Amino acid sequence: MVIKVHIERIFYIIALAVFIFVLLIPKSIADDIDKEAREISYLLMCPVCEGQTVAESNSQLANQMRAIIREKLQEGKSKDEIIAYFVSRYGETILGAPPAKGVNWLLWTLPAIALLIGGGIIGLFLYKSKEEGEKAQEESQKPPTQSELEYVERLDRELKEFES
Amino acid sequence: MKGLGLAGKLVVFAAIVVLLILLGYAVFGNKVFPKPSPLIGREASDFTLELFNGDKLRLSDLRGKVVLLNFWASWCMPCREEAPTLEASWKRYKDKPVVFIGIDVWDDKDSALAYINQFGGGYLNGIDPKGEIAVDYGVGGVPETYFIDASGKIVNKYTGPLTDEMVDQLLGKVLLSSPLNGLTKEGG
Repeated sequence: MVIKVHIERIFYIIALAVFIFVLLIPKSIADDIDKEAREISYLLMCPVCEGQTVAESNSQLANQMRAIIREKLQEGKSKDEIIAYFVSRYGETILGAPPAKGVNWLLWTLPAIALLIGGGIIGLFLYKSKEEGEKAQEESQKPPTQSELEYVERLDRELKEFES
Repeated sequence: MKGLGLAGKLVVFAAIVVLLILLGYAVFGNKVFPKPSPLIGREASDFTLELFNGDKLRLSDLRGKVVLLNFWASWCMPCREEAPTLEASWKRYKDKPVVFIGIDVWDDKDSALAYINQFGGGYLNGIDPKGEIAVDYGVGGVPETYFIDASGKIVNKYTGPLTDEMVDQLLGKVLLSSPLNGLTKEGG
């Protein structure tokens, strides 16, 4: 009798757990779709706005694009497929970040090249300055030559004559 | 730059100039406005349009005819500018195998109906409430007009208000290149 009561309880607990799980699944799927839709909409530029992504824009077209992204995700389309769809309609200019191909590779590599060249120039400049500084210091530490000594003596003599 | 000799300074200057030229080209070099549509040369996406008269129109049912597909909105000034041209052009082409279709986007129905009444409303006009057709055709502003040949292929796109001459020129090209075979249907 006691065993039967226990089995019944376990059955109710399992049924409740399954019920809660089933209730939570659609919400979890919807959350995933929302998250992915937001991610995709940040990768696409709004075609009617200046410098705003589909996620950031409040234009009607951006709203409609967000709805289309969600719809396509619900149909089971992947992120890449959805992005490819928009590129096939609007061209690559719809992409927030241009793909690193063709002339676009310049956009990706130029900052690094500029940094290297700039760093190189600054390095060279500092090296040269240091070299010149050292040379000047060496020059100043050398004992004066005979002609320099004579020049200093002459200068002193002439100054004294002038003062007297 | 005190530490660099003349040759060094020239190298630095040349490097900066080259970098600026490359950056300028990468940023502005391939910008052509308006951008050519990637849809040109491809089959026009099929759609079912809800017409203002309550009927439904399927693009694929018009196979065999040339289609002028114009996206517009009642609040758009250039659309208002081209509306009389489109109405007049439709009258010139209505006995030819050419169908004019207007698709109202990003608009409300009442304003759209007032616009149609104002400008004649001779050809087929419908509304795209969810913007699905507009996005499918890569519309990024209004007015935009697509020219679809009789085989259902997009052959041209025009961004901005059309003039009579442009309509004649662009439709003329499509008509010349189109294998017309649906002459039994009424155009527009």
